[in-house]
Amino acid sequence: MTPTTTSKQGPGEKRPTAPRPTAPRRPANAAPGEAPTTPRPAPAAPTPTTTGAGATDDGSPTTVVPPRVPDDGSPTTVVRPRTPEGGGAPPAARGATAPAPSTAPPALRPGTPTPDGGTTAACTPAPAGTGTAAAGGRRAPWRRPRVLGGAASALVLGLAGALLLGGGGWPAGLTVDLSAPLDDANQWVLDNRDTHPLFLYFLLHLSNTAVDAVNAVYGVLAAMGWPGVLTAGVLLAWRAAGFDRRGARVACVAFGAFALCGLLGMWDATLLTLALMVVAVAVAALLGALIGLAAGLSDRVDRALRPVLDTMQVLPAFAYLLPFVLVFGTGTPAALFCTVIYAAPPMARLTALGLRSADPGVLEAAVSLGANGRQRLWTARLPLARRRMLLGLNQTIMMALSMVVIAALVGAGGLGEEVYSALSTVDVGKALAAGIPIVLIAVWLDRTTAAAGDRLGATAPRRGLLHGRSAWALAAGGTLAATLAGLAFGTTWPRGWTYDISTPVNRAQDWIVDHLSTGVPLVGGTQVWSDAFTVGLLNPLRDGLQWLPWWALLLLVAALARLVGTWLSALTATAALAATGVLGVWTKSLDTLSQVVAALAVTLVVGVLTGVACARLRWVERWLRPVLDTLQTMPQFVYLIPVVALFGVSRAAAITAAVVYALPAVVRITAQGVREVDPAALEAARSMGASTRQQLFQVQLPLARPALKLAVNQGVVLVLAVVVVGGLVGGGALGYDVVKGLSRGEMGTGVTAGLAIVCLGLVLDRITQPTARGPRP
Amino acid sequence: MNTTATTPVFGVRNLWKVFGPRADRVPGDPLLADLPQADLRARTGCTAAVRDVSFDVRKGEVFVVMGLSGSGKSTLVRCLTRLIEPTSGTLEIDGDDVLAMDGSRLRELRRRRAAMVFQHFGLLPHRSVLDNVAYGLEIQGVGRAERRARAAGFVEKVGLAGLEHRRPGQLSGGQQQRVGLARALAVDPEVLLFDEPFSALDPLIRRDMQEEVVRLHREEGRTMVFITHDLGEALRVGDRIALMRDGRIVQLGTPEEIVGAPADDYVRDFVRDVPREQVVTVRTAMRPMRADDAGNGPALPPGATVSEAITAAAHGGGTPVRVVENGRCLGVVDPQTLLGVVAGVTPPAGKAAA
Repeated sequence: MTPTTTSKQGPGEKRPTAPRPTAPRRPANAAPGEAPTTPRPAPAAPTPTTTGAGATDDGSPTTVVPPRVPDDGSPTTVVRPRTPEGGGAPPAARGATAPAPSTAPPALRPGTPTPDGGTTAACTPAPAGTGTAAAGGRRAPWRRPRVLGGAASALVLGLAGALLLGGGGWPAGLTVDLSAPLDDANQWVLDNRDTHPLFLYFLLHLSNTAVDAVNAVYGVLAAMGWPGVLTAGVLLAWRAAGFDRRGARVACVAFGAFALCGLLGMWDATLLTLALMVVAVAVAALLGALIGLAAGLSDRVDRALRPVLDTMQVLPAFAYLLPFVLVFGTGTPAALFCTVIYAAPPMARLTALGLRSADPGVLEAAVSLGANGRQRLWTARLPLARRRMLLGLNQTIMMALSMVVIAALVGAGGLGEEVYSALSTVDVGKALAAGIPIVLIAVWLDRTTAAAGDRLGATAPRRGLLHGRSAWALAAGGTLAATLAGLAFGTTWPRGWTYDISTPVNRAQDWIVDHLSTGVPLVGGTQVWSDAFTVGLLNPLRDGLQWLPWWALLLLVAALARLVGTWLSALTATAALAATGVLGVWTKSLDTLSQVVAALAVTLVVGVLTGVACARLRWVERWLRPVLDTLQTMPQFVYLIPVVALFGVSRAAAITAAVVYALPAVVRITAQGVREVDPAALEAARSMGASTRQQLFQVQLPLARPALKLAVNQGVVLVLAVVVVGGLVGGGALGYDVVKGLSRGEMGTGVTAGLAIVCLGLVLDRITQPTARGPRP
Repeated sequence: MNTTATTPVFGVRNLWKVFGPRADRVPGDPLLADLPQADLRARTGCTAAVRDVSFDVRKGEVFVVMGLSGSGKSTLVRCLTRLIEPTSGTLEIDGDDVLAMDGSRLRELRRRRAAMVFQHFGLLPHRSVLDNVAYGLEIQGVGRAERRARAAGFVEKVGLAGLEHRRPGQLSGGQQQRVGLARALAVDPEVLLFDEPFSALDPLIRRDMQEEVVRLHREEGRTMVFITHDLGEALRVGDRIALMRDGRIVQLGTPEEIVGAPADDYVRDFVRDVPREQVVTVRTAMRPMRADDAGNGPALPPGATVSEAITAAAHGGGTPVRVVENGRCLGVVDPQTLLGVVAGVTPPAGKAAA
């Protein structure tokens, strides 16, 4: 009997096709063990053109892959640590995916970072081609020196030009002011919101429906009272994860999460956030599933959709807020709609991927038995896609959560609002009180959906009262009973059962400021480090970038992009950078760019070192794994809280948040890449007497190059997303403009800055695309 | 097996399957049709997987299509129920023109008249063994209770009783293929199509499954079309074998004819290592009785194999073995003839005499 092997035949496993790149937003990690289980589809299909590729896989439910999610085909990558079938966590465990070497390696690409579920996965590096890559194909080795030379000469030329002609910003004549027309548009919307038919007969209905839906759900949750909601959350988690030991653990997580939300005095805010989530996730999942269905069944839809989804992956969460605020104004509708738009793509992609990667053998068997199209869909394709769809749901939920939190900027209310208002007054204690529930909810949702996904393995369902439909009835009954009990004892969280952590936290923060910020013997202090970092690295970098003549910078970017990619990616990168100049935010863009580059440098140094340590030292890996899992579950907003406590409001704080946010991905990808180096090659080196150092530098790191490139690319996108959020805590530049635009209704400024951020994202993405040279199958 | 008078289960005439751009021009064009595979690809970009194939599958026989990978045998079997659409030719099942069928009649054909067993099983991983076996019935629209009851019988028939509620992932490869077999049997098809059903199994299990097929065929007499790349398997289960190469049938005959009288060097090469004494029958090997033959040697029916004759001859002390049918002596095989067959030095007597 070889149950295991058979069970592992993922649908995708045998596909003849080629891998496709995709890019998950967050890197994934996959457990090696898991990897096999996950199907690694190698779909064929042409690669998407735009963004790079990351591949993903889905195998595991938990990963969050953001926007750039898998396309079809991708082999994947993102796997979550606990895997579905993996059962026992393999040594490598959470985190690493194990791509089979032979299969196409997946490439993962990050998209914008999202907070996704946490434990997201790692990715495997792979060369999946990106669109451009496709064009490039594998480059002949002899051409590389020439390209290198070209890049070097461009750099030299640029510097020489700068010295000769003097530096300078973007010429004023080449700018186009978008602020005025945007402000006009905004004004027009404001003026006509109550009269124009477009609003009266369409948009107004949308926004009213959104508000009604959220209010209705909130009403139900409030009516259930805290006992009802708490019981529902616990039983739901338990039922979804199965009524067994694992289910019990997940149920404990749920109980702890809800109880702490109440204890911290955030019960109402939690309910509001949950209400938003319920509505947003329901709509996003439905929309995503329908789109995915269309893309899974029709090649034409799939082709049309892919570039759209690819583009969506590059956009930071912030970029989604602006257009909705423009149309709907601040408030729940804008928050809800952008959450839906932001969260739907993973569901769409994974549904389409699931449908497309159904085992062709099974489908052929169904046809050979005379199944018609509808029967094939319902009895074979959809059931086979279930696990991927559940993974999509997990990612959709985690992305929705992060967006709902960020949407506090446009008046969404709930926990995000609490964090935002606390941060804007630098009240770390209050921010933490709201931030902890966000993390807990994220963990609860992630664990629950991940466990549910794991259960969809090939094992037989158990029967009995605690399984199947009767278990749902049991959970519903329990909830009902708790609700009734709640009606008797009171539905609001008891006042006496709260604990105010903001005072002790603020006291602790004061102590930190007093004792750790300066004057610590030998090591200095956080303020000292932050100043040193700002003065020593950040300022020179920013000034240097701003001093370079604009055309030299364009040339440099073009050369870099050509170096790693194709002419097309060079063109895209250059055009995107030029666009920031045209938008009139050249200087600010370079400021933001300098922060991204500085954060990236720190992230890579720390991340790669840690990743290598992880791969080589078992105990490091064991200790880090749970930490990384948790870090990856949190929405990016939450990262700001502790860094403000340590570094105050400054650019260094924003950068630290970005580094912390991007680190888990970089560590995981690096560790996985190093660990998965062909064991035969390593063994050969060892048999020839290579020292540890030689093994690392001559075998492991060179062979892990694709993973390292991928880590760089993921790092870039993740860092960029948080540097923008960092506008809230002193990052300044573009991020601040966006936040200001959103919170004060200055659409012109906000949208311009938002566009510039998108452009920067494109530039960075193109010059770090790791997959550009992937072999095309 | 003299059933040629009745309509064949499958009647295949001049069947072509060409993959590639404008594939339909290839069969009709004598210039292209005779090109070797590589030249055809170079000239037209097309690949002819099945070329001008004609054969009949008679009722109740096991018809084996044998060839190496790439010879077009899997494509051929898929053409039989139009899982792959043939490019040209005619194809009849019980006299009905398959190529003329519309979608619903074709589905009806697949649902009730021909069921297929696949190399990689094609089981639904999310369903229990029982529901997998019942899947064909479900597609036919049979109610849940009835199809489960019927499926349970077939689960038992293939020896999986007790495993009804397992998932395919929990079964071994051999067990999974039994599920695939039960699924095909459950719809009570007129003909079973096997596409390399045992290639993915390890040798011991493969032997078991082959015996299972032989047993099922003996018990039910169902017509079977069996695709394999394994000559031993073909000889073991087949009543007649069509040997394919590059999309053409190079020889069609009983195992004995193939082994005993290879049509060309390719076939000869193919069957070289086959233990001929286990395939060649005494009917083929015998020589006419001569006056000096003692009439008291051991008697065997004409269908006995040479290896059985050797055993008999050894026990009989070297006297020629008589081949007896209906009490009439058709001929004899003496030790020299038998040795000749084993050594492969003399072509079987029948052929040699001719």
